[in-house]
Amino acid sequence: MLVFPDGIPAFEQETRFLAMRQPLNDPMVFLQSLGNPDLSFVTLPVPAVCPGFELHMTTEDLETLGLAGARQPAIGRDVLCLAILSFEENARPTVNLLAPIVVNIQTLRGCQAIQTDSPYSHREELPLREAACS
Amino acid sequence: MLVMRRRAGESILIGEDIEIQILHIGESRIKIGITAPKSVPVTLKEVQLIRQENLAAAQVRSVAALRGMLERLIDGPADAEL
Repeated sequence: MLVFPDGIPAFEQETRFLAMRQPLNDPMVFLQSLGNPDLSFVTLPVPAVCPGFELHMTTEDLETLGLAGARQPAIGRDVLCLAILSFEENARPTVNLLAPIVVNIQTLRGCQAIQTDSPYSHREELPLREAACS
Repeated sequence: MLVMRRRAGESILIGEDIEIQILHIGESRIKIGITAPKSVPVTLKEVQLIRQENLAAAQVRSVAALRGMLERLIDGPADAEL
């Protein structure tokens, strides 16, 4: 079970989530709220859509996750990094790379970390251009 | 938009109860101190953007989930009646 001490923007009260994968829907990860059974998000692991993605987390977000230090955490080693997928009708699906979900792999504490100095948008169309992501 | 120039240490007043003070001016960032009543929400602009985006993503999710669930149960396109 993932714990988000501050929830996520618009859902600040939702502090407990499960991350679920289903082989048929790989690589999508479903983030299900435990507090509200009707609330869930479809996400994609950031390395799957943007291999060159680098985290630029704020000090506050790093503290929320219990990650110390001057350097940014490594995706896959220190943290899990997921981008929320948005499907609008008659439009291509988009991912929020401006504010990915970041989870401390050791403690399972997470947050939605609005990136500082981000070249990415909250609505990056899939598939991402290679130049944007290497 | 009202445009003002301030130096570090100087302030701006909004209404009766809100003060914005420039605390420190750095190379590419400035530090701002905000004094406001609890009833006034103060957030980074991006947070509002992300809030709206999350709401949009969450809503559409329940429809997509239902469709996905149905497809897996029925092993084909969702039944038209449903």
